[in-house]
Amino acid sequence: MSRKLKRSILFWLVLGPFAVVALFPYAVMLSTALKPGDEIFVFPPTWLPSRLAFENFVEMWSATGFGTALLNSLLIATAGTVLSLLVAIPAAYALARLRWHGQGLYRQFLLVAQMLSPIVLVIGIFRLMAAMGLVDSQWALVLAYAAFNLAFATWMMSSYFRTIPKEIEEAAWIDGATRMQSLVRVFLPLALPALAVTGIFTFINCWNEFVLALTILRSNEKYPLTLQIFTLVGGAYKINWHHVMAATFAATVPVAVVFALLQRALVRGLSLGSVK
Amino acid sequence: MLDRTRTLPALLLILPSLALSLWIIGYPIYDVVYTSLHEVNRFGRVRDFAGLANFAKLFADPIFFASLWRTVLWTVTVVGGAILLSVPIAVMLNEDFYGRGIARVIVMLPWAISLAMTAIVWRWSLNGQYGMINATLFQLGILDGPVEWLASFDTAFPIEIAIGILVSIPFTATVLLGGLSSIPADVYEAATIDGATGWQRFRWMTLPLMKPFLQIAIVLNVINVFNSFPIIWVLTQGEPANSTDILVTYLYKLAFRYGRLDTAAAMSLIMFAILLVFTAAYIVLARRSEEKGA
Repeated sequence: MSRKLKRSILFWLVLGPFAVVALFPYAVMLSTALKPGDEIFVFPPTWLPSRLAFENFVEMWSATGFGTALLNSLLIATAGTVLSLLVAIPAAYALARLRWHGQGLYRQFLLVAQMLSPIVLVIGIFRLMAAMGLVDSQWALVLAYAAFNLAFATWMMSSYFRTIPKEIEEAAWIDGATRMQSLVRVFLPLALPALAVTGIFTFINCWNEFVLALTILRSNEKYPLTLQIFTLVGGAYKINWHHVMAATFAATVPVAVVFALLQRALVRGLSLGSVK
Repeated sequence: MLDRTRTLPALLLILPSLALSLWIIGYPIYDVVYTSLHEVNRFGRVRDFAGLANFAKLFADPIFFASLWRTVLWTVTVVGGAILLSVPIAVMLNEDFYGRGIARVIVMLPWAISLAMTAIVWRWSLNGQYGMINATLFQLGILDGPVEWLASFDTAFPIEIAIGILVSIPFTATVLLGGLSSIPADVYEAATIDGATGWQRFRWMTLPLMKPFLQIAIVLNVINVFNSFPIIWVLTQGEPANSTDILVTYLYKLAFRYGRLDTAAAMSLIMFAILLVFTAAYIVLARRSEEKGA
């Protein structure tokens, strides 16, 4: 037996239990989501349904208001990500490319900002949004998500920006381009991978956020997916778990697939950006 | 041209980020301080200056201290467990073996999903009558009857900790993998030629070289886990009888369920102070590893 084969068997024996636990939720989601409604509340439950009840997904879509919530999630997460990047790009550029007084102070400020999470300030944020008349407004979430992801985005992008050689920009200036022109036409296209990785992480953060959405939104038709699905298991007397699992499956599997496909690039990008 | 000090353009470039942060993060900090020093009625209207009365009320509240203690337990066990499991996982993922690509995807997978969703699926799996955990344990002959896992602290809290560890592994393993890949391979080759065993290489080479990454992974995890709200909120909401509350869940209840915004604001400030200590630790560690050139 080759060394690599031996090592592979040993590693999978160790990783096996972890893989089982990590994949268990997907198995449960799939199993329950495909069971006919009358087989959910049977003891003892079985893994395999008597038939594949794909109609659960159709019923779930209207029963849970899935479409609206999906649209809300997309809108809030996109707007939050775009705003965050728009504000973070110039700051990251200043950190990576310019030398200025107060640079060290600004770095410390970013570090502290990165440590703060919405939950600790939730009372202040709620009262701020109330004062601005933004309770039950999706704009409140867009603003808050942009602000709380700002430090991370600036940090990641400035580490990337530093890896882009200065000479390329300088060459553009010599050719007569203004600073602004070289920034937009030469620098940003080169920085596109950094914007993509940062954007995807920010988007996932916004998409997954829970506490602020729970605190600020009041009307069901404005809920993003996470909150909408949480509401399904929150108050109801009888929880239709086959609908809930169909909804969590539909909400998580696309994200998981995208993440799995991009995993290599994302993880490499993250370790380049945040650790170095 | 690029080496000149250019403070004014730089300030213009960072201005939007400063403005947004001061508005959305800075003002709430001020507001929490202000609220914590005043009396607030049930409808959120700020009344008279109260001095430190809100802090006194908080310190007279046994649930606050119980939650504080459980937060320590929660943070230490989740971070400790995540680090202990992530080190071997990262070391393995850094080696070449069959199926490494799949293993990486599986390890990172919990990251892609919101904690709230993960917790919802686990809540259903742990359902006493119809959950798949009981069914599986029952079929394996480990249980003779249904167990209501989430109905008592003794089973609910350890389960919440285990789920906390599971979802913390992807981030921790990523940081550690970044550290491992920065160790040059020829260091190991030299040691192997000198006759070092696998364990010796790990103990005397990998671990010391990984130290800065371990420290950063620990501090960042402590901050994340201390702030973690959805797992406990979705699984038990801190119940039964506040027995699984940690600071963040109790804060939320105080503020938005019991309508005691003033005491909750005082509690926010105390948590804020705890986080600042962790942040200071992180800044010191990050600066030290920067000086070393890591």
